[in-house]
Amino acid sequence: MENIIPAEAAIEKCDACFTDVVADDVYCTNCGYPLKGSDFEQRSFIANRDVIDIDMNDFNNKIKSARNSLYYLAGVFMFVGVINFFIKKDDPDILAYVLVYVILAALFLALGGYSQKKPLACIVSGLCLYTIVQVLAIIDNPANLVSGIIVKIVIIGYMIKGIKSALELERFKKENNIT
Amino acid sequence: MVSEEISAEVIESADQKNCISCNVLIAVDCRFCGSCGAKQYLTEPDKIGNQWLLLKQSALFYAITLIICCASKFFDVFQTFSWLLFFSIALAVNSLAFFLIYWKENKKLLNFINFSIQKASLYGAMAMMGAILVHYSVSWLNLTIFSREENYYYLFKGNFFAELLIVFFTAVMPALFEELGFRGYLLGTLLKVADKEQAIYISAFLFAIIHLSFISLFWLIPFALFIAHVRIRENTLWYGIFFHFFFNLTACLFELL
Repeated sequence: MENIIPAEAAIEKCDACFTDVVADDVYCTNCGYPLKGSDFEQRSFIANRDVIDIDMNDFNNKIKSARNSLYYLAGVFMFVGVINFFIKKDDPDILAYVLVYVILAALFLALGGYSQKKPLACIVSGLCLYTIVQVLAIIDNPANLVSGIIVKIVIIGYMIKGIKSALELERFKKENNIT
Repeated sequence: MVSEEISAEVIESADQKNCISCNVLIAVDCRFCGSCGAKQYLTEPDKIGNQWLLLKQSALFYAITLIICCASKFFDVFQTFSWLLFFSIALAVNSLAFFLIYWKENKKLLNFINFSIQKASLYGAMAMMGAILVHYSVSWLNLTIFSREENYYYLFKGNFFAELLIVFFTAVMPALFEELGFRGYLLGTLLKVADKEQAIYISAFLFAIIHLSFISLFWLIPFALFIAHVRIRENTLWYGIFFHFFFNLTACLFELL
């Protein structure tokens, strides 16, 4: 942008997004703000932008809940791993047993952290991993189907909402031309 | 795909473009036209569509694959030939069915235009080296962590015909149908839902965890990422199939010989 606009032409800034604008532009080329529009047009642009911000905030909050679920799972697996380690300390197969928990905790932690950058990929991966872990636990012991079922449903619910919001956010950004 | 890249290059080389609404010349990275205020889409807006539905469809494919894989845990798949046959065919049918849903788009992935034997053998060689590396690190891991060695196919050992069948069911079938399912259908569908990078990550991660072995993830994730990249770069499934085949073949030969 800076390369294209000659320095002397960039005399003013957009009131809405504060990027440099060329004097004879009618609309801001970065956000579409009506630079030369009437007071009413300018105010309704700002109001409209605030509505978009509120919507985006809503999507971001749901993504954040999904991210927190991933962190929560990382914590739970680490906790269970450590507890198991101390209970079965003398078992010769302890390393194999605990390692699975540590790997799962590390995976959920990595997915949670990376979901800042790639929310859709991380939440989808996290949900699938969680589902597989649950399925394997149920195969191992069918009683796992009912134990802690409310927490499981809440976690899965948060993640599904997170996936939907990540999709909506992408779509929203494209529709409203926000990068 | 090719035409998109070419047109993108043309626009990049000039520093001005026409507004999509009023046709006035504007700077190429403008997101709004300076004179009429119209949105200038930097990405094609036609990608906005029924993504949630596509995601649910992929979830169905994945769920069916997961059910088949989990069901196989209840049977001695590697010891009983009829169960091996049954589950291999079930997975193959599932992959093929979903691949065929988008046959019109997906058939492009199967054409042999620009197929080069040199490239295929290069990928084959890389796969074999990778498999050797994985084999030794996995047996080292198994010995240190589990203090045991795994051997799936001891029942078939020494029987030449059975060994041939094992090669077919562990090298040929998975290479072909896992590629059709995961790099063909799943990656293709995810590309419609998310950007290239996220689609590759998701398909690779899902492919890795469906093997239901968390310790093997250390090589499965890079393996799947590599094949997904190859599939995107070469725009064909065949190199991936070759890579996957030679990888599984090497792993299989380690077990049999």
